Parts: sequence; structure tokens; C-alpha cells
Amino acid sequence: MSKGAVKQKEINKTIRAEDNWEPIGPTPMPEMSDLRRWDMRLMKTYKPFYAPFCDLCCFCTYGKCDLTEDKKGACGINISGQQGRWGLIFSLMGCAAHGAHGRHLIDYLIEKYGEDYKIDLGGQVDVEAPHMRTVMGLKPETLGDLRKGIEFVERGIIHGVSATHMGQEGSDLDFESKSLHIGMLDHVAMEVADIAQTIGFKFPTSKAETGLSGLGWGAVDKTKPVVTCVGHNAAVASVMIDHLMKAGIYDQVEVTGICCTAHDNIRYSDRAKVIGPLSKQVFFLKTGIADLIMSDEQCVRCDIPQLAKESGSALIATSDKISYGLDDVTHKEVDEIVRLIIEEGKQVLIRDVDKAGEVAAKVLPVVAKNRKKELVTKEKAQELAQACKKCELCDRVCPNFLNISTAVSDVKEGKFDMMTSVFARCVGCGKCEQECSKDVPIIKIMQAAASWDTYNIRVGRGPIQDVEIRKVGAPIVLGTIPGIIAIVGCSNFPEEIEEVAEIAEEFAKRKYIVVLSGCAAMAAGMKKDADGKTIYDKYKPDFDAGGVLNVGSCVANSHITGAAMKVANIFAKLPLRANYEVIADYILNRVGAVGLVWGSYSQKAFAIGAGCNRLGIPVVLGPHSAKYRKLYLSRKEEDDWTVMDGRKKELVNTEEPSPEHLLVVTESKERAIITLARLCIRKNDTAQGRQIKLNHYISLYKQYMGSLPDDLQNFVRNDKDIPIVYKKEVIEYLKTVGWKPKPLLTLPTFIGTYESNIPIDAVVK
Amino acid sequence: MSLPYYHVNVFTGIKSCKVMEDPQALAKIAKKAQRPLLVLGPQCGEVNLGGKQLLDYAIEIAKTLGAAICATANVKKKLLEAGVTPDSTYDAVEIINHLKDPAWKGVKKEGNHDFVMFLGIRPDLGNQGLSTLKHFAPHLKTATLCKYVFPNANFSLPNLKNDKWKEYLDNMVQGLKS
Repeated sequence: MSKGAVKQKEINKTIRAEDNWEPIGPTPMPEMSDLRRWDMRLMKTYKPFYAPFCDLCCFCTYGKCDLTEDKKGACGINISGQQGRWGLIFSLMGCAAHGAHGRHLIDYLIEKYGEDYKIDLGGQVDVEAPHMRTVMGLKPETLGDLRKGIEFVERGIIHGVSATHMGQEGSDLDFESKSLHIGMLDHVAMEVADIAQTIGFKFPTSKAETGLSGLGWGAVDKTKPVVTCVGHNAAVASVMIDHLMKAGIYDQVEVTGICCTAHDNIRYSDRAKVIGPLSKQVFFLKTGIADLIMSDEQCVRCDIPQLAKESGSALIATSDKISYGLDDVTHKEVDEIVRLIIEEGKQVLIRDVDKAGEVAAKVLPVVAKNRKKELVTKEKAQELAQACKKCELCDRVCPNFLNISTAVSDVKEGKFDMMTSVFARCVGCGKCEQECSKDVPIIKIMQAAASWDTYNIRVGRGPIQDVEIRKVGAPIVLGTIPGIIAIVGCSNFPEEIEEVAEIAEEFAKRKYIVVLSGCAAMAAGMKKDADGKTIYDKYKPDFDAGGVLNVGSCVANSHITGAAMKVANIFAKLPLRANYEVIADYILNRVGAVGLVWGSYSQKAFAIGAGCNRLGIPVVLGPHSAKYRKLYLSRKEEDDWTVMDGRKKELVNTEEPSPEHLLVVTESKERAIITLARLCIRKNDTAQGRQIKLNHYISLYKQYMGSLPDDLQNFVRNDKDIPIVYKKEVIEYLKTVGWKPKPLLTLPTFIGTYESNIPIDAVVK
Repeated sequence: MSLPYYHVNVFTGIKSCKVMEDPQALAKIAKKAQRPLLVLGPQCGEVNLGGKQLLDYAIEIAKTLGAAICATANVKKKLLEAGVTPDSTYDAVEIINHLKDPAWKGVKKEGNHDFVMFLGIRPDLGNQGLSTLKHFAPHLKTATLCKYVFPNANFSLPNLKNDKWKEYLDNMVQGLKS
């Protein structure tokens, strides 16, 4: 529906159109189809690639419908449409998780501080909310403005969900466009949530060098009362820490966290510790080290009540999104709830942030008193393993194809090396233990095989500073900083957890900018070199060549994409305000940023990826992610790589597949590294920049594949692009494949290559 | 069809693979192909079957059959070390994306392949890729040479232990040679 006068008036009011910080661009508060033509242009080059996980549709009572090959379901949908629909559903689930998280934080903080509470991200962050500015056209000033952001996201989600109903959308391309739209909204939601918690809980901001915090299950002092927060919502843990401080016992307890609440805890307090990523949730909770488990929201195990009972830990659930069927005691007095937990051993749901934090602080020292914490010793593990009959059922259900049965058999004989290796690769689903007909407690046995070392993690720093963008904007766009590698997402890693650190270091030492967040940021800290240093100890935390920085939890991912937007704005002087298409086009064609989601697992990771893709940022996925069912791939030799030269206003067939894919799965760490280096190449690179990028690509390819890249001819435009160190062999190779020089252009853009209201001049500054 | 060894590959659909208990029969089908392709994954460089590398079986099958080789992931390095230059290097999803197109020229630029065998790709990724080909590439037949059932292939080996897998591959090579 086109926007009428009433709607336009409403938008103008929401974004305070009269504020003249920038002219209002073409798409303020875009609706579902306002950026559809941009999506279709993207998908002309990067076509959806589908790998159905299930051949059936089971959505309605006409089904089950077999959609194999070209069959249609009873409603008329085909297998491509169904995959597109799944993609939209995943995006919606992810965006809703972040959005509801943001809504909870904002409502809580508005109750506490009022809606006029000012946004202040410190002296180094003037462009405070690039997503809200670019997508909505609103420069937020208060918590109330952040609420407008969430309301905008909520409206989009309703529209998106409606399209998944039977008898609605059927085209795979339109499902994809909607999925991309929801992905874009997801970044708005994340930005809102992280700004809210940063200002509400006074997290570090405008500071690159945040401190280092303890990381790893070995970092916990088990002799103290231990509370473990699981999930993503900072509110309850922050209040609990306040109460522990008020009671004067904070230094006598251990506040720990798993998954993103852990990130938020260490942003709130330098005494808090990170246990590790999601994949170690079951392992750690089964150790019984946690005297009290506090669950909040997202990526929390559905069986935590059982895990807590098994380990003798107390449990307080604090989110109405995960109520576990527990008694809701929110209405009871604090002392009564404390009594229920301590005297009756009740697991409870407390939906009031302040009450939950206060109860936790009171309960923790008491429940810890009567508990004994004994880890499984090697002798005990050997005893526990004796029941194993090596039936291999554990192997068959392992989603990471680990040889668990052999590892358990080895433990029976007192050999632990294989179990140590299995633990390093374990994604923590616990299905092996569930399947075991002899009830061998496999995850508990891992306690005797796991490393109990301690590590460091850089405290999440929130937004990238404007001053940093001013410094690196030109080198990024010219290519002399070879790229931004954003390693994000969950911990569903295909191999050892250490691979994340290895990939990060490979690029940091080559002077790429390496940005991390979420569980990936934790995993990256869990490897030490010969001197006992992690990458956070070794590399500077600046958004600069060779920097390794942690932005924080999942919702801080918005700062990574936001940094790319800031390059377009602060360096290239393009206005952000309601100018999404131009900014995305700039990033796609001129900012060599690539995401790596090596252990993607959740629907949130899917939505984050969709938001990156619409913004022109390619994403590389690990092999598990083939189960997401869709990718956006080009075919480098066959596809049309024509773009507009913005300055000359001429179409140019560049013959250069850069970036080659928008969303691609790679199977091995080596291939992922090579793909990341290749996807940093942009048509805008200067000869010097291209030389640097190709130098790394060739060097990495030789290292991992043993030869020159066999697609090198695609990325050499003329002999000035050839890295000096490889000049002779590259020239010889190019002769063998009949290479010819390619056209050069100074301002590549998609604008002008498809029907759009955006004039080409909009990209020229 | 047997239940796949790995439960993540449990089949939800109607059209599933034919499990080839007899390696000679699979060899016979492969020999009928005009432009066969062997797609190799990283496990080829990692698995040893009774003293013989899986990669050596792959090379032997490709040479005997005259099949083109596509090296995925980081297999190219292993092949080069073994003295074999692959006809193409892609990641698994990239080669599958090409194979979908009946008009694609194939890795040897002689036309798209009509029979594609997969060996050494991660089981979940492999089965997903085969799903793509099952739905979107009716112009070609697929077979897996790994030791597990892959429901989305046209032809799959049964679930085998390593010793039986080795025996299967030996017999298949014999069949290809005869």
C-alpha cells in the first residue's frame, strides 16, 4: 500500500521530520516492500540457493504435502516457496527474540528513569544509532525514542508473520525480500537493545581499551558461592550485583555467566566472569559448580529445571518467555520467596526484575552453604564408563559426528586423550547421554577430560567510536586495510573450539580489523599461545588494522554493521537519514567487510545474517548452516558483473565477481579463511589496495590449497593489481588462462542498474 | 531404504535413495555415465582404510572411470601432494549450484555432468547438497560413496563399518575395471 497523507504525517511525527540534522531520504520507516527493488537487484546477482531439510510441508490440515521436485502443495506452494517461507520464519523468530528483549529492557528502564532519559554514549560516539538513523530516519535522543524503534520493529514483525500464513505469499523471491526486510529490522532491534542497556546500566562506551575479564569454567572459584546467569538479558543480573554489593558480600561470591548475559555481566562489573559459550551450558550446569542458576531469555536450555535438580542447584527463572511451568511467585514478598527456595527447595519464576535480583542475592550465600561440589575425577570417570557396551547409539545421534563411543571405551581403560578431543568438539546438546541405554553419564565423564585452564576475554566495548571511523574509513574503502572480519554468532562449531581463535589470529596478524561478538568472542579467547596469551592479550583492542575487539553480546552485533554504515557517513559523507538503499549500495560495493558465523545455531544468527546481507555485507557460514536451507550464491564465471560507474554514469561490465557471494557455507576452517579473504575484495579497491588484498588471498590459498588460486584471473584488473612478491608466477599463470585486462572504474554502484527512485548522483559525494 | 546412520540425516519425504548393496551394480551404473564427476570432501584426506587412504580410492575410481574431479574444501592440497591436479576447485555448495543448471558446461567445459559421485563430505552438508540436486537437478543422477546411507542421493551405499567399506570400494573398483 502506498503511503497516504495520514501515514506520512504519522511518520513525520515519529521521526521529528522538522529536525534538520540531515535531509530526509527516500525511505523513512520503510514498510515491507519499500526496499523490495533493492532486494530483487541483490538477488539478480546473488540468487537464492535452496537445500530443503524436509521435502514436506506440514503447516495446514490439507497436508502433509509432498513438495519433491516440481510438486505443489494443496495451497499451491512449491519447494522453493516453502524454503523461502522457512527463511522468513527464521528471520522473524530471530528478530522477535531481539525485539522482545529490547522491548523488555526499554519498558524496564522507562519505568526506572522515565522516557525522557537521555541517550549519551560518551564523547567519542556522536553517530549514536546508525541503524535507526538510516532505516527509520530518526536520530534518537531519549529512551522514549528507542521505544519508537521497537514499535517500528514490532509493526514489521506482524506484517511478516502474516505473510507466512497459508494463502498469502507464495513466491520464493518475495519471501526472501521479506526475510531481508526483517533482517534489517533485527539490526534496528539489536541497536535499540544495546543502546538501552548501555545507558541504563552504564556499560562502557566511547572507550576502546576495556579491561580483561576471567573466562572459562576453570576461572571460577568453586569454594565461594557461585551464581550462574544463563541467557541474554542484563537487567536481573545487574540488579542482583547491586544487591550483593549493598549486602557487602559481592567479593565473597562468584557471579558467572553463560552465553550473552555473561558479556553483559562483565560490562557491568569487572568481578564477573564468563564461563563460556552456549555449547558448554549443559557441561557446566552438570558440574554442579553453580549453587544458583538464574535463567533469563534466549539460548537457554529448555531442560534447565531438570539439570538444576540433578545438580542440586537452586533455580530462579526470570523471564515470561521461559517459564518452565514453574510457580509464578512474583506477587509474593521477597522473604517468602527466599523461604520457598531455601526451605522447600522450590524452583520459581519471578517476573519482576528488581525482586528477582534481590531474592537471588539473598538466596545465594544460603543455598551454597549446604552444598558439596565434587568434580568427577579420572578414577570416578573410569568407573562411570564401565557400563558402556559400545553400541554406538551415542555416535549416531551426535550432530557433530563425534566418535563418542570410542572415547567412552577408552575412558573405561583409563585413557582420556580421545575424550579430551571429543569435548573440544562437543556442541553440548546432550543427545548422546539421552540415547545411552546403559545410562552412562557421558557429559559428566567429560569433567575428567576437559581442560580446567583459565583464559581472558576483552570486555565488550559497545559502539565503534566515530574517531576510529575517521581514521580507518579511507584505508578500508581504498583497500589498504584489507578488510573487516566480523566473527560472530553461536558455538555450533564443526571442529575444535580453538578454530575460532585460529581464524581470528590469521586475519589479525595480516592487519585486517577483527571484530567479535557473542559466543564467538568467548570461544576466541579460549586458546593460549606458547607464552600463555590469548588473542585478547596479544592484539590491540582498537577498530584499526590488526585490532581484535569484542563489541559485546548478540545485540552488540548492530555496532559492527553500524560501523560499516558510519564509514559511508563519516568518511564518505553520505547522509544516513532514511537513505538505506544508498548506504547498502555503498557498503556492498566499497566496504570490504565480511561476517563469519562459524558456529551458527539459532534463528537469531539467521536474522543477523539476513540484516547483513541486505546491507551488502557477505556472510560465510560453517557447515552446520546448510540446514538453514538457503544461501545467496553467484556463479562467478557465468554471471553478469555489470555495475554503474557512478562518476561517468556508464554501465561497465567489470567481469569481476566481487563480492562473489552474499551467503555461503564452507566446510573447513581452511576454506573459510580463503573465502573470507576473497570476499573482502571490492570493485572500488585502488591498485595498492587490490595488491594488498590479493597478496593475502594468494598467500592464504598457497598455504591451505598448495597452489595459486585458480580464480585469480577474476580479480586482477591490470598488472598494477599484481602483488610484487608473486608477480612473476602470477603473470605466467595469467598467460596460461588467457587473461585480459579488465575495465577500471572509480565509483561502482548498483544504482542505475535497476529501476529505482534513487538518482545516480545520490551515491556521488 | 535403511535408516541413515546419523540421525540428523533422517529422511522426511517420499523420494529417497536406492541403497546399493552390490558394489558391482553401482559400478555398472557409473560406467554408463557419459560425463561422470567425482566430488571430493575433506574426509578423503583424513580417512585410512586398512593402510590405503580414502583419497587413493578416490583417485583410482576417477582414473578408472574417466571421471572429472572436483576438489572441495581444502582437498586440493592433498590431491596435489598425491600428484593429481583436480579438474576444478569449488566448495561443496558452489559445485552443487553449478550442477543445478542443465546448461552448465561442466568442469571440463564439455557439457554438464550426468552422473555425480560424492565422497568425503561431512554427512549433514552432503545430504543437504544432495537435497538441492534431488529437487532442482532432475537432469542428473547422484551417488554417494561414503560409508553411510544418504537418503537424498539417487544411489547410496548401505551403512558400513570401515572394513566392509574398504571391501565395498575394492569390489567397486574391480567392477569399474571389468
